[in-house]
Amino acid sequence: MTSSSNSSRKTLSKIACNRLQKELVEWQANPPTGFNYKVSDNLQRWVIEVIGAPGTLYANETYKLQVDFPEHYPMEAPQVIFMNPAPMHPHIYSNGHICLDILYDSWSPAMTVSSVCISILSMLSSSTVKQRPEDNDRYVKNCRNGRSPKETRWWFHDDKV
Amino acid sequence: MDSGDDIHDANDIESLNEDIESLNDNYDNYDDDAAAADYFDDDDDDDTHPAKSRRIEQSFTILKESDIRQRQEDDIRRVAAVPSIPHGAASILLCHYNWSVSRVNDAWFADEHEVRRTVGLLEKPVYDNPADAKELTCGICFEAYPLSEIETASCGHPFCFSCWGGYIGTSINDGPGCLLLRCPESACGAAVDQDMINLLASGEDKDKYDRYLLRSYIEDNKKTKWCPAPGCEHAVNFDPTGTGKDYDVSCLCSYSFCWNCTEESHRSVDCGTVSKWILKNSSESENVTWILAKTKPCPECKRPIEKNHGCMHMTCSQPCRFEFCWICLGAWRKHGGSCNRYESGEQNETEKRREMAKKSLEKYTHYYKRWASNQSSRQKAVADLQEMQSVHMKNLGDSQRQTELELKFITEAWLQIVECRRVLKWTYAYGYYLPDNEQAKKKFFEYLQGEAESGLERLHHCAEKVIQVFLSDDPPSPSEEFNDFRKKLTELTNVTRNYFENLVKALENVHDGNPCDLDKRPWGAGAMMNEMKE
Ligand SMILES: [Zn+2]
Ligand SMILES: [Zn+2]
Ligand SMILES: [Zn+2]
Ligand SMILES: [Zn+2]
Ligand SMILES: [Zn+2]
Ligand SMILES: [Zn+2]
Repeated sequence: MTSSSNSSRKTLSKIACNRLQKELVEWQANPPTGFNYKVSDNLQRWVIEVIGAPGTLYANETYKLQVDFPEHYPMEAPQVIFMNPAPMHPHIYSNGHICLDILYDSWSPAMTVSSVCISILSMLSSSTVKQRPEDNDRYVKNCRNGRSPKETRWWFHDDKV
Repeated sequence: MDSGDDIHDANDIESLNEDIESLNDNYDNYDDDAAAADYFDDDDDDDTHPAKSRRIEQSFTILKESDIRQRQEDDIRRVAAVPSIPHGAASILLCHYNWSVSRVNDAWFADEHEVRRTVGLLEKPVYDNPADAKELTCGICFEAYPLSEIETASCGHPFCFSCWGGYIGTSINDGPGCLLLRCPESACGAAVDQDMINLLASGEDKDKYDRYLLRSYIEDNKKTKWCPAPGCEHAVNFDPTGTGKDYDVSCLCSYSFCWNCTEESHRSVDCGTVSKWILKNSSESENVTWILAKTKPCPECKRPIEKNHGCMHMTCSQPCRFEFCWICLGAWRKHGGSCNRYESGEQNETEKRREMAKKSLEKYTHYYKRWASNQSSRQKAVADLQEMQSVHMKNLGDSQRQTELELKFITEAWLQIVECRRVLKWTYAYGYYLPDNEQAKKKFFEYLQGEAESGLERLHHCAEKVIQVFLSDDPPSPSEEFNDFRKKLTELTNVTRNYFENLVKALENVHDGNPCDLDKRPWGAGAMMNEMKE
């Protein structure tokens, strides 16, 4: 586990802890299809396994999502990135950053880890071509000093893919 | 001049500002000598006084915060007059339609259903909470709460007070987007109105929201703008159906600006010339002397080039890209690498180009200096006027036994100076862009400008220097002398006003595409002015 992005983060507020405990219970009772999460003692960072849906370009492939929760979750969005290696996808950069509006501008506190996971899997499943975003190299270079995707001003790709 | 006339003049001052605003439209009255002569006719009355006989309607209104709130509330009420639109919904509708009551009404009556959908005003809840439930689960913290501690927007999605507070607070701290806040449930879209904000947000957040709502009323409304003066919190409502091309607005804070481009007032010179000039001053010539000393103009495009490294091979910046030699300013491709060859033809052409470039910069410097000195002279005049009003008026009243009303001619003179400095300043930007080949137009313009300027210098001198004898520690006792001063300053004020009106009129004729008619010089005051020169 890299601690670079973790060290600067404030610990979860009481509200955030309570809410995450509830999400955890709900996840264990009803895990979203295609996802595995082994509970750790770190409530602030979840590492979730994603299994590509059958019949899609990513069938039988396994990737890992790293979800970091901010102090004021769920008022603030969690930071969600793919761990290395990130799936080849027109909206996923090689450093794992994901171009998906609900992770940034369109986040709402009524969303959950589970609903975010489902959106990401649906984004993967609808892809028709395995390739990086056009601006991958430039973007990844700009992020080299450990910048969070939440600091990016996202210009969202069309939502058809 | 007897004191009765002084009172008459004093009354005029009240309207001076409006008169200045309306100078343009009063022009027709000055075309003949008789009208101009009225200025010097002690018997003139209100009806024949040109500045009074044709007062135009002001096309703008200055709004204080209380006025803005009143108008905003009035507009909300007008929308809420439709029975199916509550107050909070009316405010949201107006936010969506740039605060235009008529646009809201048109859209609403054209397709109420569609408007409700896009704006998020649901007719009935989309989410049915169980009718017999005693508790509901908050959709954010997932805790159960008694109904009394749950609030919903028109959609019915339940959230607890504290989660609403956090949600609303986050949005308000993100900026004015909070005015279009929607239910937290994803894809719900039900609007959150100010009544809910007031119920659920913290005091500080409520104030911020209120501020954003007020700003939106001015900034998203096509008919209103904030006064651009630093620190001024007034707004201006402008009615474009008024006078057509007169965009001058003067705020209660005393700042005058152009409604169209929000630069400082520049009546008689069009917005395009003003922005070109301001851009030129900032991009090219922040310091004209420095440029003159350290740079040479590009022989091709005349922009100043600063040499920043040793090689003599210069390349001008985009879009020109002209390559030339720093020493002889000739085209680089024409002389290879060395500059020692004497070629008479080439040299002459280069010299000619260099001469032209020098001239172009000299021309700019000529106009810039005059523009800038009128600018600073105006600022000084504003300060002098304030000092006059706050310090000297009372002393003068005591020493010369004059009433406040009888001394108003001094204020009038200073207001005229301040206004004329502004007009004169912008005529230098105008003059800079006047094409060299339009000699007749240029000549006529410079003649009018010169006359106006010398009139203004005499007025300024009189108001600033001649008055000093009465302001000294040992002022002369009340005397004929002071009456002479009053007469002189009042006449200079009127004459200068007349000159500037002619200047402004000539410039506006140019805008309208009328060629200046050199045979028809609208003077009356000219001859009289000569008598006044000592
Ligand atoms: Zn809702
Ligand atoms: Zn709650
Ligand atoms: Zn103002
Ligand atoms: Zn303008
Ligand atoms: Zn050039
Ligand atoms: Zn040379």
